[in-house]
Amino acid sequence: MIRLIVLKRTRPLKYGRLTTVALALAAGILLYTLILAVIGVNPLLTFSIISASFISSGVVKDFIVLTVLGYALLVAFKGSLWNIGAEGQFYMGAVPVIYLTTIVFFTTGSVSIIQSVLVIAGSIILAILFGGLWGAIAGAIKAYAGVDEVPVTLILNYVAYYLVNILILGPFQGKYVYGYKRTDLIPEAYQLSIRVQLAPTGNPVIDGLLSYVRELIIFGWWVLALAMVVTAVWWFFNKTSLGLKVKVLGSNPDYLVTAGWDVRKVTIATFAISGGIVGLMSALYLLGYLLRLEYPIESQTAGYGYLAILVAWLSLLDIALVPVSAYIISSLTNAGISQSSAPEVKQALAQAGFAGAELSFRWIMIGSILLTYSVLRFLSDYEVRVIRE
Amino acid sequence: MSGLESVLGVVEEIAAAFITFYLVALGHSIFEKAGLLDLAIDGIFFMSTGAAVLGAVVFGTPIAGSLIAALVASLFGLLMAYLLTALPISHGAVGLSLQFLGYGLGIVLGYPVRQQVGALYAFCYSEEALFEMVGLALLLGVLTYYLIEKTKLGAAIRASGENPHAASALGVNVLATRLVAAAIGFAIIGFGASFFPLLWQKYWDLKVYTLGYGWLAFTIALAAGRHPIFLIPMAFLFGGLVEYSVTIQSLLKLPADVAKLIPFIGALGAMLAYSFTRLGRIFASPQSLGKIYYKEEKTL
Repeated sequence: MIRLIVLKRTRPLKYGRLTTVALALAAGILLYTLILAVIGVNPLLTFSIISASFISSGVVKDFIVLTVLGYALLVAFKGSLWNIGAEGQFYMGAVPVIYLTTIVFFTTGSVSIIQSVLVIAGSIILAILFGGLWGAIAGAIKAYAGVDEVPVTLILNYVAYYLVNILILGPFQGKYVYGYKRTDLIPEAYQLSIRVQLAPTGNPVIDGLLSYVRELIIFGWWVLALAMVVTAVWWFFNKTSLGLKVKVLGSNPDYLVTAGWDVRKVTIATFAISGGIVGLMSALYLLGYLLRLEYPIESQTAGYGYLAILVAWLSLLDIALVPVSAYIISSLTNAGISQSSAPEVKQALAQAGFAGAELSFRWIMIGSILLTYSVLRFLSDYEVRVIRE
Repeated sequence: MSGLESVLGVVEEIAAAFITFYLVALGHSIFEKAGLLDLAIDGIFFMSTGAAVLGAVVFGTPIAGSLIAALVASLFGLLMAYLLTALPISHGAVGLSLQFLGYGLGIVLGYPVRQQVGALYAFCYSEEALFEMVGLALLLGVLTYYLIEKTKLGAAIRASGENPHAASALGVNVLATRLVAAAIGFAIIGFGASFFPLLWQKYWDLKVYTLGYGWLAFTIALAAGRHPIFLIPMAFLFGGLVEYSVTIQSLLKLPADVAKLIPFIGALGAMLAYSFTRLGRIFASPQSLGKIYYKEEKTL
C-alpha cells in the first residue's frame, strides 16, 4: 500500500521560498483559468492576456500603491499582527484630505504656491495621523481586550466605509456635482500629479518604453514617497529598538514579556505605524489620482487593502521581495481588468449571463492565488514523502 | 392584549433576520467547537446566498435553494477541515482565502440567474412559512445542543477542539471527527444563509457581499460562547439591531449608512463586553481553536 506522509524538513529546502511562491502563483493562476474556463472563456486567451499584462505600462500606478501598502502590512505582519484593516485605514486617511482640499481651502481659481504646499503637506500629515489612529484602535482592542485582530480590523473596515459614506452624503457632499452623491473634485492647485505629454515616435518598442517613463513622471511624487517608505521600513527594522521588538513579537512573544517589555505598547505602536503608512498612500492616491470620493464607498473601492494582504504574504515578509510581489499582483489584477474588457471574453461572459459582473472575477483571482499559496506554503518547512508498505 | 400583539409584532418583524443570523452562527459554532478557526464565514455566507438563488430559480422552489446552499457550503467545510487537519497550514490564511474565493463564487453562482429572472419574489418562501422556519431553526438548535453535549460524537468534537493530540491518543479519529463537524456546521451555515435572499430580504444582487453579515454572525457566535442555546438571545438581539437600525434611522432622519453602521458598532461592543466581563471566562473559546494540528509524522 502506498502512503503519503508529511515530515518536518531537517534542513531547509534550497530556493524553498522562491519555489513555493512560484508554485503557488502557477497553481493559483491555473485555478483561476479553470474557473473561467468553466464559464466559457478560452484558457489560452486567459494566459495570453495575463502574460501581456506583465509588460504593460498600465501596472505602474497599481504597482506603486500596492508596494507602499505592502510595506505597511509587512510592518504589522512581521510582528504576527494580522492587519486586515488596510481598507478602513485607507478611507479614514482620505477624510482629512477631502476636508482640507474640498471644504476648508476649496478654491475655483488659483492660489499662492505657499498655500498649495501647506494644504498638500497638511492633508498628507493628517492622513497619516488618521490612518495611524484607525490602526491604533484595532491595536488597542487587541492589546487590552485580547480580541483576535482579524475580525476586529475587518469590522473596522465596515465601520470606516459607513462613516465615510455618511460624510460624503452629509458635510462632504460636493457643491459642483450636479446632484451626484460625491465630493467636489480636489482643486487643481492641490493636485499632485505631474502633467506630461510625450509625442509617439511610431516605433512600438520605444513607445512602449516611453509609456513607462510617462507613467513614472505622472506619478513622480508617488515614486518619491515609495522610496521614502522603503528606506523608513528598512531603517525601522534594522536600526530602531521598536523594530527589533516587533520582530521578536512575531517570533517569540514570550521573550518580550520575560525581557520586561510592554507587549501592549508594541502592539499598538505597530498597528499605528502600519495604519500611518496606509494613510500616507491614501493621501497620495486621492491627491494624485482619484481626486474625489464617491458614494457608496464600499462598492467604489479598488480593494487595494485586500490586495495588499496578498502582496505582503507573497513577499514572505522579505523587505526586498515586496516590490516583486507587488509587481506580480498588480500585473495580475490588471490582467483581470483587461480580460474583462477583451471583446472575446466580454462575449463569453455575456453569454454566460455575467455582463456587469466582470470585475468581480478579481475576487476569484485573489482567492485562488491566496488559497494555493496558503496551502502550498507548508512545503518550505515540511516535505511530503511517498512510502510503500 | 395589545401588549401581547405588539410583542408578537416585534417578533414577527425580527424573525427572518433572526433565523438567518441564528443558523449561520450555529453552524459556525459547530465548526469552531472542533478547533477549526473559521475566517471564511463572510465569504461562505455570500456564496451560500448566491447558491440559494441559483437553486431556488432553477428548481422553482425555495426549499431547493436552501438545500443546494447547504450542499455547496458543506463541500467547502469539508475542504477546509481536511486541509487544516491533514496539513500543517495556517487556519487564518486558508479561511481568508476562502472568504475572497467565496465572494467571487457567490457572484458566479447567483448573478446569471438573478439577471435572468429580475425579481426573486416568485421563488421565495411565503409569509406563512415564517413561523415554521423559526420552529425549524430552534429545532436545529436543540438538536445541535444534544449532539454537542450529550452524544459520543459531540464529545469527540469538543475533544478535537480542546486538545486534538490528547483526543487522538484516546482513540478519537480527529480528522474524521472534524470532517463530520465541518460538513454539518457548514451545511447549517449554507442553509441559514439561504434565508437571507429567500425569506428575509426576498432580494439579492452582487453587492450583498459588501454587507459583512457573515462577520456579524461570527461576532454573535463569539459573544454567545458558541453555545446553541445562548446563541438564541444573541441572534435575536443582532437581528433586532439590523432590522430596527433602519427604523431608527428613518425615524430620526439620519443618513441610511447610520443604519448599516449600528450593527457593526454593536459587534465591536459585544466583543469588548465579551473580553472585559465574566462572559469571556464562562464562554471561553476552545483551547486549540486555530492551532495547527501536527504530529511528528503524519499520513495525508
